[in-house]
Amino acid sequence: MGHHEHPSDELMIKQYIKVFTWLFIFTALTVLAAMDWVPKSWGEIGGTLHITIGLIIAFAKAAMVIYIFMHIKFDNKFLRAFIFVPIFLFCVLTFALNVLGP
Amino acid sequence: MSAGLSLAHEPVSGVPHGKLAMWIFLASEIMFFSGFFGAFIVLRNSNLEVFSHSAAELNKWLALLNTAVLIGSSLTMALSILNLQRGNKKNFQLFLGLTIVCGFIFLIVKTIEYTSKFNHVDPVFPHGIFPWSNVFFAFYFTMTGFHALHVILGLIPMIYMLSKSFTKQGYNKPVKLETLGLYWHFVDLVWIFLFPILYLIFPSHH
Repeated sequence: MGHHEHPSDELMIKQYIKVFTWLFIFTALTVLAAMDWVPKSWGEIGGTLHITIGLIIAFAKAAMVIYIFMHIKFDNKFLRAFIFVPIFLFCVLTFALNVLGP
Repeated sequence: MSAGLSLAHEPVSGVPHGKLAMWIFLASEIMFFSGFFGAFIVLRNSNLEVFSHSAAELNKWLALLNTAVLIGSSLTMALSILNLQRGNKKNFQLFLGLTIVCGFIFLIVKTIEYTSKFNHVDPVFPHGIFPWSNVFFAFYFTMTGFHALHVILGLIPMIYMLSKSFTKQGYNKPVKLETLGLYWHFVDLVWIFLFPILYLIFPSHH
């Protein structure tokens, strides 16, 4: 990915509002995903599905906040190391323990 | 004059020192919260029954309201920074003010939630719900408590900047507000994960 220049103010505001809207949509999806929609016959897979979907949506929301609100998309790439390494560890921890749990 | 010491920007990253320091601090914050998340997941797997019954006691609609409030405050914070950078004083004050209001709404809703837990009485929790009631609520109060503490700590410099902007000198340090913005968005990030794992995820089938 090439270096992104700071877009104009107008574009920036549009991006902010776009992210804001998507965060709301994803929040609604998280609530819907947590409802009791998995058939009982699926057994334990139901719990795993709820967790996995909830976490995937949370990571998508986090990515939008970090990229646009926190300007990682526009800032020096050097900064990315600081945020991506711990986030990677966090992802591994969360998914490994959740999905591979009993 | 010593060139090395007078550099306003870190030579490798090209970003202001304060911002770089904030990123390093946030990296350590991720690991701080990861400890709680990791422990939560491990103990949840060995106490599924307790976790699912306890989580069902939480008010997910209040938490949803707080999610909306924090997302809104992230937007107003970003707009406040943009306006300070462009020198639009009125809009900077408006959006920073809105961010502060959102922070306080969050804390008020949190207080309502906590009080309703303390006063909650039923056969399972005859004396109310407290951090020592069971392992789930220990996590609930610790994690949301540390998160609320972060909200309070973020509000203090915001209130300082806003009140300074009404004085004769005014407030004109966009880089500092941007650095504070990074912290504020991080507080939103933590909530993005706390909301589903505490309020929404509990196995309904097992």
